[in-house]
This record gives sequence, structure tokens and C-alpha cells, in this order.
Amino acid sequence: MENLNLSDDLDLENALQDENDEDEQLTPAEVIELMEEAWLNEKFAPEILPHKFDVVECLLGQITYMEDNIQNLESKDFRKTIHQLEVDRLRFLVCSYLRTRIEKIEAYCNHIMKQESERISKGEDQYLTESEFQFLKDFIQSLDSHFEKVTSFTVVTEDWKSQPVVPNVHSFVFLKSKQEVEGVIIDDGRNDENDLVDLDKGSQLIISYNSVANLIKKGDVHLI
Amino acid sequence: MDPDEVEFLGEKQYISIIPTFSSNVIHLISGDVGPFRPSIPIRVPFWMAMQLKQQRICKIEPPEWMEVDKLEAIKEDEKNSRTFTKMPSDHYMVEAKILLASATDDIPRADEIRTIIKDIWDVRMSKLRSSVDVLVKNNGSYAAVDNLTLMEINSIRPLLPHALDTLYRLKNSITGGSSQSQSTTTFSRSTTSFHS
Repeated sequence: MENLNLSDDLDLENALQDENDEDEQLTPAEVIELMEEAWLNEKFAPEILPHKFDVVECLLGQITYMEDNIQNLESKDFRKTIHQLEVDRLRFLVCSYLRTRIEKIEAYCNHIMKQESERISKGEDQYLTESEFQFLKDFIQSLDSHFEKVTSFTVVTEDWKSQPVVPNVHSFVFLKSKQEVEGVIIDDGRNDENDLVDLDKGSQLIISYNSVANLIKKGDVHLI
Repeated sequence: MDPDEVEFLGEKQYISIIPTFSSNVIHLISGDVGPFRPSIPIRVPFWMAMQLKQQRICKIEPPEWMEVDKLEAIKEDEKNSRTFTKMPSDHYMVEAKILLASATDDIPRADEIRTIIKDIWDVRMSKLRSSVDVLVKNNGSYAAVDNLTLMEINSIRPLLPHALDTLYRLKNSITGGSSQSQSTTTFSRSTTSFHS
């Protein structure tokens, strides 16, 4: 993902990484492809993944542009329904992707906040976009004030805060390999030596998420 | 995942249609299609073909594998093979379902095709169920699912990942791999919709 240059307002993290890579212009079809992949990855990964803001931004730009054009078509024109249908399909894709992320942010708010804070203090790329991060902060705040309100009549210990809901990173996922990957370590739950598995290009596997989380983030494999 | 979403992904495959209308190239975001000339076959995305079919301005050319003889051969192969054979299309079930529902008049021997595809699906599903059985009994912690199509994978998604996850927890609790508190908190999420 780092080497894409999709729009002028790339976020800072990506812009920094871009410096070393050649600029690459993607066709809209390739952007849709990336969006579909990001959608499926986000759908099946138990934890929240690094955001794909540049892809979303680029696709939304295409959609808006097309919607403007549709306005200019006569309503009898059969091409209008076709274009409208395509726009609706793409809009669904983007919405579903963003909704999945919001669901995860709500479910694992404190956990994600902790991880994001760690990333910020280490100077690493954040997984959430700016607006998602704002949403996370607001959500935690309203949640806290709500809990405070409903428990104000009695003294409640703050024990629940020490055990935030965390995603189950051992959960099993289906993946398809985009290239050859050697020596994926299988976490099989026992502490003795772990199995290794090699992936061929195009092979499909069911495997625990934490064994392949890095490969997904790197883009070597994608979830199906 | 909702089967509708699998269908959504399948609908971007291309299919050949024979238009009865004339039109210049249409510039879709996903790429240009056309130009359209009456009775000249042209490839368009599935979703577009269905739209045109509904407006009765095209005929669908069924995919080349959608023939009784070819499907019979696939069915025999599938029966004789211990592993899953490669299907002619990654979305064969989606394509068959859509075409047999809304373009029956364009498909010769549609009823026979419907039956054979259902047979192929049944053979594969029973194979899938017995492999899952073997996997779980052998305490496997990963498995190859090569040549399974998305719809087939989706059909075991509510069951298999969850079963393996539970096995993992059991193994883990025997060896005491992770702390107790973690396994109880994570369990509360495992039944929600993210994995289904």
C-alpha cells in the first residue's frame, strides 16, 4: 500500500513512506480491487487493521465524479440506470467497509485506544484515520460518562476497566495467498515446537489469525 | 458473511451477452464496456448483463461450462477425486443461480443443468463435511482449502472456525498457555457477527 499515490491529500504517514517509492498511478479498476480486498480483510480479521484512507478517498472521488455526470444524462437514457447501479454497488462497498471498522472501534474501544496510544508514543503509523480516532475518543468519553451516571447511586469498583474487551486474535480465518510465503509459524495452542507451513501463490488455507496477521497487513495474503 | 455479499462479489465476473440495441462505449468506473451493436456478442459484468436482461434488450450467452455434457464430466471427476477438483468458475454457484433464475430462456436444457449443478454442490459439500470431521478429530490447527469456491467456504464459516477456536481454547487450557482472565474476556466476543 505504501507506494500508491492516489490523491494529493495523502495523509502524512503515507506521504513520508512514498518518498522512497516511485509514484504509481492506479486505474479506477485497480482501486476497486484494493477496496474489495480491504473490505474482506476488515470483515474477517478479528482486530482492526491499518486504515486504507487513500483507497477510500480515491474511490469516493470517483463516485462523486460519476454522480455529477449522471445528473447530465437524460432520465430515459438506459445508460443512466447502468451508471447508477454501479455507483450504488461501489457505495455499498465503501459503506460496509467503514461500518465494519466503526463496529470494531465500538466493540474494542479501550483496547484500541491503548494500542493507538502506544503507536503514537512510539512514533509508528496509526491504524485509525483522524476522524476514526476522534470518534473513538468521543465514544469512550460518552461511555464513561454513561457508566458514571448509572452507577452514581452506589460505590462501584473500577475493576471492569482493568479487563477491557479484546479481540480474539486466535480466531480462525480463511485466506488466499497472493504470493509465495515460506515458513509461516502455526500457533497451535501447545507450547512445544510449532509447525511451519509454506504457502504457494494462490493457495487457500484456514489458519489462526495471529499466525498470519503480519502477512495480511503486509498484503502478501488476503482473507476470503 | 451474508450469502448476498458472496453474490455481490461474484457479480463482477464478466459474461457474454448479445445486445439487441446499439450504443457507444459506456465508461464505467470499473472499465469501459462496449460499443454495443445488435447481434454482436460482447462481454460485460454480470450485474450489468442482468440489468440489460431485465430491460429485455439483450440475450445472455451462457458461460461455456454451462452445458450438460461438460457438467456431467465435472461431476464424475468430482466423485472420483479424493480432493476437491478445480471448478470452471470461482463463482459457479452464484452464476448458475442468477442465470437459472433470470435468464432461463437463454439456456438450453436449463432444468437438467440445474439438477447437475445441485448434484456437484452436494458431492462437494459432503466431501467438505467429511474433511472437516477428519480435521477436527485429528486435532488439526490449519488446513488447506484449495479449490473451494467462496460460496462453499462461506457455508462452513459459521461452524468450522468456531469449532477450531474452541479446540484451541481446550488445548490451551490444558497446557496453561495463556492467562485465565484473557480467555474469559475474549470468549464474550467470539459469538458475534465479525466471524460469521
